[in-house]
Amino acid sequence: MPAAVTIKTLIVDDQQTMRSLIRTSLHALGITQTREAPDGEEALRNLLSAPVNLVITDFNMPKLDGLGLLRAIRAHGPTSKTAVIMLTGRADRELVQRAVQFGVNNYLVKPFTTQTLKEKIEAVFGPLT
Amino acid sequence: MDPFESIKQTFFQECDELLTDAEQGLLAMEAGDADGETINAVFRAVHSVKGGAGAFGLEDLIRFAHVFETVMDDLRSGKMELTDEVAKTLLRAIDVLADHVAAARDGGAVDEGRSAPILSEMKALIGGEGLDDDDLGGDEDFGFVPMTVAIEGDDAPAFDPPALDESPAAFEPMADLAAEPASGARVWRIGFAPKSEMYAKANESGLVLRELARLGEMDVKLDADALPPLDQLSAETAYLHWTVLLTTEADEATIREVFEFVEDDCVLTIEPADGQASPPPPSSDLSDDALAAASADAPLDIAALLARVAGEAPTSEAAREPASAPEPPADLDVAALIAKAQAPIAPAAPKVEAAPVAKAAPPAGSSQAITPTATIRVDLDRVDRLINAVGELVIQQAMLSQQVMESGLARSSNVALGLEDLELLTREIQDSVMAIRAQPVKSVFQRMPRLAREVADMTGKRVKLVMEGEGTEVDKTVIERLTDPITHMLRNAIDHGLEDPEGRIAAGKPAEGVVRLRALHRGGRIVIELQDDGRGINRPRVRGIAVERGLISEDAVLSDEEIDNLIFQPGFSTAETISDISGRGVGMDVVRRSIQGLGGRITISSEPGKGSKFTMSLPLTLAVLDGMVVTAAEQTLVAPLSAIIESLTPRAEDVHFVGGKDAVIRIRETFVPLIDVGVALGFRETALPPGQGVAVLVESEGGGKAALLVEAIQGQRQVVIKSLEANYQQIDGIAAATILGDGRVALILDVDALVTTQHRRKPAPRAEKRMAG
Repeated sequence: MPAAVTIKTLIVDDQQTMRSLIRTSLHALGITQTREAPDGEEALRNLLSAPVNLVITDFNMPKLDGLGLLRAIRAHGPTSKTAVIMLTGRADRELVQRAVQFGVNNYLVKPFTTQTLKEKIEAVFGPLT
Repeated sequence: MDPFESIKQTFFQECDELLTDAEQGLLAMEAGDADGETINAVFRAVHSVKGGAGAFGLEDLIRFAHVFETVMDDLRSGKMELTDEVAKTLLRAIDVLADHVAAARDGGAVDEGRSAPILSEMKALIGGEGLDDDDLGGDEDFGFVPMTVAIEGDDAPAFDPPALDESPAAFEPMADLAAEPASGARVWRIGFAPKSEMYAKANESGLVLRELARLGEMDVKLDADALPPLDQLSAETAYLHWTVLLTTEADEATIREVFEFVEDDCVLTIEPADGQASPPPPSSDLSDDALAAASADAPLDIAALLARVAGEAPTSEAAREPASAPEPPADLDVAALIAKAQAPIAPAAPKVEAAPVAKAAPPAGSSQAITPTATIRVDLDRVDRLINAVGELVIQQAMLSQQVMESGLARSSNVALGLEDLELLTREIQDSVMAIRAQPVKSVFQRMPRLAREVADMTGKRVKLVMEGEGTEVDKTVIERLTDPITHMLRNAIDHGLEDPEGRIAAGKPAEGVVRLRALHRGGRIVIELQDDGRGINRPRVRGIAVERGLISEDAVLSDEEIDNLIFQPGFSTAETISDISGRGVGMDVVRRSIQGLGGRITISSEPGKGSKFTMSLPLTLAVLDGMVVTAAEQTLVAPLSAIIESLTPRAEDVHFVGGKDAVIRIRETFVPLIDVGVALGFRETALPPGQGVAVLVESEGGGKAALLVEAIQGQRQVVIKSLEANYQQIDGIAAATILGDGRVALILDVDALVTTQHRRKPAPRAEKRMAG
């Protein structure tokens, strides 16, 4: 049962709006250690310099997309055990299946509520305190 | 501000960017030079708009964006062919999408008359698939259980060695196995033997089992036989497996879904409880871990890491799921992504590493990476302060040079040479500082395609807008004031310039008219050209109207060029019926005035039947002025060069007095008012006697011409504009001030005010009116 405040999170989305929304929701859940990156590449660089517990990433992004990021995270020893929650649109069932192959921990359909986000995170880490 | 509200504002700002990107992508698609990435970029933009709209509950916007997105998705996947018609529909759709965004932002409503038809068109394109209302938004449960992770303390990312996992304590054995199964319930025997890969992906068996427990009552048996003595225990290896007896009404598929995230990385058997199968032994396959361990020591080189993922992906994928794993489509190919990402990430990457990546890359060309330019946002005030300071520097430098010259130092002296270097440096600094304020005209140009489409729709004309030189840079203030004139001219070009499709075909032209909007730098100014291939100026008609409106006399002799330029006269309109589109005939007059307000000029050239071309020439900045330094009544004054047509020495016999008082001068058969600047500004009482001084022929913003009489012309110079209002007060006839090289303040003439004042005092004769003789 991890304390929310201990979960270091990296938010990856090419849209500032989405990043802000996720951040706001996370903060509301007590997850205050958040960082942000606008694309997979930047996220990877960020992760390599300072690891996190959780990556919440969009799928469709310029440069390196969510799947690419996921694969890179899993392939690199120090980051391979980072939890990854993928953001998807409704139409992305195939994508979710591919993400599962590459080892995603959960998914989150846009748009989402703070409550949904909480459920998804708790499904990965167990109940937040 | 409410944080949510502030995010919403961010969203709308982002929408503007997204819409612009999407429109540009669509234009490329229409032009037929769009690759998969372009289509995907449009998809992404529309998708992002929808995503944000969903977060803020903007229903209309979501609905429209959703259909749009579906079309883009079909195009992207190749399900739909990109035809010219599709591209055109989408271009109109992006306009409506922009309207929806605007409506959501400003609280208005979208014109359903515009929105609904396009929505139906798009729905027709995708055959109405997947468009149920409940298809929008909301969380869909794909029916699998998340992979779980444990967190330990503050150290990220911590991970529990699977063999020592305590979490199974979280679910107590359900003892009531003996109890009667509920009606329809069955008992399943589930063998669950995680491989080490499952843990390597940050999953936890305990949480998977807990998820399973939600399906019904279960009895869990842990098999720890494979667990070696402690000294042989490897934290990376999976030793445990479980046998679960689950009593549930759920079918096998539902049970299997619980393992959806981990199925590839465990040995899973699900069978009715009377079956004989026992769980298979746990795997000790360590390949991924070995890889991970090896990489742990590797330097943090992202390019290398990405390259390795690319190289490793196919094999590991094959190993993981030999038959059923679909090959990711080309647009998701990691190798291609890496090739694209390579340049920005590791420009100095060692060749050894770069080589395999290059090999993995698709044919060069498509993968040309553009290094993003790093930018910073600076408050405009700071930039202006800097520009001001540099202005002072330029003046100081000029003063210093002049004093050194006057002190009689030889040109070859070290001081003089040093000053020359200083002058060069100063100019360079000035140019660089001006460049900070410079922006590409793209921000103005990018609004034009939509405008062209709208005007074409309203007038029933067909038009293709070709834009060139969007990257041409010009000062921010100039850009801000360019939108209106260009908008007006473009409307005019389509509304008045182009013929309707039938007319064009009859004239032997393609039905679709072409309007070219072009920006370029020429001679330290920016030139903007707007050219159409329409019918050109109808000179007899223009002339007729001008006579009718009293702009020219009936027997005036005008060159073709002069007739063409009559359309810039106030109140002139050639539209047979006044249309909503191009206004009420004030258009070109307003255009000219705003261009002149920027220190620019506008001219037209036209060829009947072939089209017209408007050329605007503008200064690159409003902080510096190209001026003509003149002397009047012993004062040094500066006349803006942009207003000056020519200068001449008046002969006494050319100067006439109207009503014995107001002077006019005859310049090549035209009479224009002769304004003595010294008198007009109150420096002296009486004008220079006829035949003395120099007359500078100027054209005011209002279009009126006049000759300014001064004693002498000193020369042409670039001057830094200083506001007179800010430093002193406003003075009629004076636009601003500047400081000359010798330290003297020189006033910059407000040509427009001088000419208008003169006109007010003396209504006749009209500057443009030709007099017989």
